[in-house]
Amino acid sequence: MPLRFDIKNTFTLVLVLAVIVLFPLLLSSLWVKVVTSALIFSLAALGVSVVFAQLGLINLSQIALVGVGGWVLLRLNYATELPFTVMLVLGGIVTASIGALLALPALRMRGLYLALVTLMAAGAFQILFNAFQFPNGGEGFWGVAQQSAGVVRRPAFAQSDANYLRYVISAVAICITVVGLHRYAAPGRAWAMTRQSEANAMAAGVNVTFYKLWAFALSGCVAGIAGGLLAGALQQLDARSFLAGDSILLFALAIVGGVYHWLGAIIAGLLFKLLPALLNDFGLSADIAMVIFGAALLHAIMTAPQGIAGQLIGAISSIGKKGSATDD
Amino acid sequence: MLKVYGLFLVSGLAVGSLYALGGIGLVILRRSTGVLNFAYGAIAAVSAMMCWQVLQWGAPGPIAWGIAILVGVTLSVFYGRLLAPSLAWREPAVKAVATLGYTLILLGMVGVIWDDSPRKLVLPTDKEGVWILGVRVTVTRLIAFGSSIFVVFAMIQFLDRTRIGLNMRALADNRDHSALLGIPVIKVETMAWTISGALAGFTGLMFGDLVRLDPTVITFMVIPATAAAICGRLTSLPWTLIGGLSIGVLEAMLTLYKPLAPLRAMTPFIVAGCVILWMQAGQRLTFAAEE
Amino acid sequence: MKNLTKLLSVSALLAATYITTPAYAEDAPVCGMNSGQAATGDPIKVGGINGNAPPGDFSGGTDAAAAYFACVNANGGINGRPIEYIVENDQWNPELAGQVGTKLVKDEGVVALVGNGSVVSMAVNAKLYKDEGVMAMASACAISDCYENSNIVSTNQGPLPSGIGALKYAVEELGTEHAACIGFNIPNNGGWACDWMNKYMESKGKKGTSILMDPTAVDLNSVYLQALAEGVDTILLMLPSGPAIGLLKVAEEQGGRDQFKWVSPTPIYEPGVEKVIGDYWDGHLYVNIELAQFDSKGADNKNWVAVMNKYGKEGDRRDTFSQSGFISAKFFTDALLKLDAASIDRASVTKAIKGIVGAKSDLLCGAYYVGEADRHMPNHAGRMMVYKNGGFETVRDCYDIDTAYLDPIRAQEKALGITK
Repeated sequence: MPLRFDIKNTFTLVLVLAVIVLFPLLLSSLWVKVVTSALIFSLAALGVSVVFAQLGLINLSQIALVGVGGWVLLRLNYATELPFTVMLVLGGIVTASIGALLALPALRMRGLYLALVTLMAAGAFQILFNAFQFPNGGEGFWGVAQQSAGVVRRPAFAQSDANYLRYVISAVAICITVVGLHRYAAPGRAWAMTRQSEANAMAAGVNVTFYKLWAFALSGCVAGIAGGLLAGALQQLDARSFLAGDSILLFALAIVGGVYHWLGAIIAGLLFKLLPALLNDFGLSADIAMVIFGAALLHAIMTAPQGIAGQLIGAISSIGKKGSATDD
Repeated sequence: MLKVYGLFLVSGLAVGSLYALGGIGLVILRRSTGVLNFAYGAIAAVSAMMCWQVLQWGAPGPIAWGIAILVGVTLSVFYGRLLAPSLAWREPAVKAVATLGYTLILLGMVGVIWDDSPRKLVLPTDKEGVWILGVRVTVTRLIAFGSSIFVVFAMIQFLDRTRIGLNMRALADNRDHSALLGIPVIKVETMAWTISGALAGFTGLMFGDLVRLDPTVITFMVIPATAAAICGRLTSLPWTLIGGLSIGVLEAMLTLYKPLAPLRAMTPFIVAGCVILWMQAGQRLTFAAEE
Repeated sequence: MKNLTKLLSVSALLAATYITTPAYAEDAPVCGMNSGQAATGDPIKVGGINGNAPPGDFSGGTDAAAAYFACVNANGGINGRPIEYIVENDQWNPELAGQVGTKLVKDEGVVALVGNGSVVSMAVNAKLYKDEGVMAMASACAISDCYENSNIVSTNQGPLPSGIGALKYAVEELGTEHAACIGFNIPNNGGWACDWMNKYMESKGKKGTSILMDPTAVDLNSVYLQALAEGVDTILLMLPSGPAIGLLKVAEEQGGRDQFKWVSPTPIYEPGVEKVIGDYWDGHLYVNIELAQFDSKGADNKNWVAVMNKYGKEGDRRDTFSQSGFISAKFFTDALLKLDAASIDRASVTKAIKGIVGAKSDLLCGAYYVGEADRHMPNHAGRMMVYKNGGFETVRDCYDIDTAYLDPIRAQEKALGITK
């Protein structure tokens, strides 16, 4: 599906615009907030999916990287007068470099070992976040004061929660496009060859090291942007949002959503944030919700190897095929 | 000053043996079945809570401990026999994260059954103790330390000397070939889930007694226990033991260095990270076909 | 599997019976207008947020407020209008806290929040409450944000006054010279409270040392040994009851009872905990409590028990937070009863809450007040208990604390005419 302005892409564009304009109108304040969160974590899931689908590499530290991105945005917010979008991009860049740094061990290993390196990083970040918390307008490098959080700037046109949701939808759409474009450019080809055989890729002159780092940097970048968006949404961050266990959970949900299509990342985000909010709104206790959630997770991993997105798209395309078969 | 070091050495070994016990249980299972079981901690938590419950009902200690281990075995084998097989052909990492689903189910069920009240698990061995280098070490701690060494020793003997041990090693080396050779894969795997479950039950008992009887804390101890397992490259039991013990000692010693003392809990992750980097320091090729 | 479920549910039932609190001789509950007539008018929406998930169940405050409001509704309501009390659980999750806060304040349009028992939501929603002009009469708080915001007023003391109260007793009665404050390494919780502990000790010419640990830390033994290595003579357990009990157990192992004086703020005073601590600590563990003793014969305390017995639900916790939620709901109801029922909206309720000055209750040592201020801490005087004979005995009745932290609070009290 190369990016051309054919009917399909135009249709997608129109759909996205319609969602941006209309969707927030339909939701109450509660669900505006929930959907904002869900989409933000879709972005994080997108990063996980990319490295797993393209290179078979597993990242169990994505939530920690979201925290890093959020930390950078809050730090910039209190230290500078930069506009929100600039801070967001800077947060993405810083997180991208940390993501690439985490990937250094990945150059020589993959599979479970790599997953565990990243899990150890997530564990370490969890304790750092707890100990230093997130800047809230205090003095010094850590910027933490014994006070309630100050104001986090939002873009001028996205002050209200509904407009901020529109901003998040746009940011997610842009990131999905940028990540999607990679598949049709040099990195995508290099990843595909590397996945097939690293030796062959090297023999063909592909700089395997560089492109592996690039994948992780890209993944880190979207995590960083997600963190920045989250900081803007909540106006502050708390260490409790960035537990190591949640990084494992996000990876699991990315698998459940489906890693081979961007829709899978959206589904992962919805499962991660919308489903718990729904269960809570139904008045289920946190414990029962956890049991249901765990069972659903297990069931989905066991029964849908292509993920929910894979099943959906499979179902749609089989309907399409039936339709075209009658045309013949 | 030497006395102070001794103090923290002994204290660190006690905690280290808990990390080691967790790591050993993970490694045994992972070697034979290829599953890294993140639900290990949750199984340990349920076992510890059941033990407390049975003691509350007035049952004698040994029965309660037996039940803790039985619960561990049951929960572990339940997953191993009923749920794990449908994931047998998936990537190791997917097998590992699937156990997170089981973790959430178990942790949620614990929350449904037992409300959030203060509890304490007491074993009779807590009352007795010996003084080592200025620290009083209870018999429970000695048991935790001794059993971590004993389990490693016994497992090595078991793997070397018995038929099923041989099968387990074969399965660890190559699963498909083992099946072709007619090794009863299911039986051997069930054995591994049983041993690992029993260890989880025992680890839960020790954690509940020596750290605190809090299901969430016990559930997530699996993450530092994984760090110990990494020190043994997920395969070597003696190195897992050494890894766990050194993490414990280092963590305790950091107490003496004030700026880092509040961050001591990072020790397992830092140690595991260094071990991984060191492990692959010799490798140059990037052809990483297998994990 | 079915049998297992059966077994588990039986065990749950037994566990529940095991922890039920003893029933006291009781009178009929007294609530609101006490008319005996159910209120049928247009309901008044009131919200409450608790945190009930690991690491703790902080639902006592909203449980008690719900019971009290049910009693009010059965007794004439607010001049005929019943209270519709909507409780949300934020599960200790900052995002969920923001979401349910928005739901209550914006979607449901509650006139106020009462009985809040969520640590996380205080930090997340403080700004929302201020922006929307809604008051939160909280009752289970443990971080700085609960006490340093214009629209949050918490009836419980939190770790700071209760901890200093415990230290004051230790300095005056137990001869403490150097205390270790063992807390979580979280800036607005352990860091905040332990910093002020140390300042307090300095102001008395004594020494204080913070020993902070990560909440997930496994190695409590080393924490204990650190206190030993620091050469302190008193240990202040600035921790939730779970880790505090873990630390006491380690100390027992080490024979540490007589090496230190042991003091703690309120968390360890919880129904059921007396069975867990163990005889070893008899006469050696001192606890500061923020509200009255659970078995106090005071009228409000007896009414709390009566309301919980009649209107509480099975499984409601009856802890300090519950007392605190009960009295918050009572003060709230009393303030609303002074309003014209037809004119009740958020603005008038906020004004009425801010107008509470000098409300009295035997559950609290001092007078309760809100007033117009950028921070609130009406409750800072407590009582001291000692663990004895498998229960707690009072060793010092109501006493206030002296710390520079309270300077702005003292100024408020002077301005409102509560103190001279």
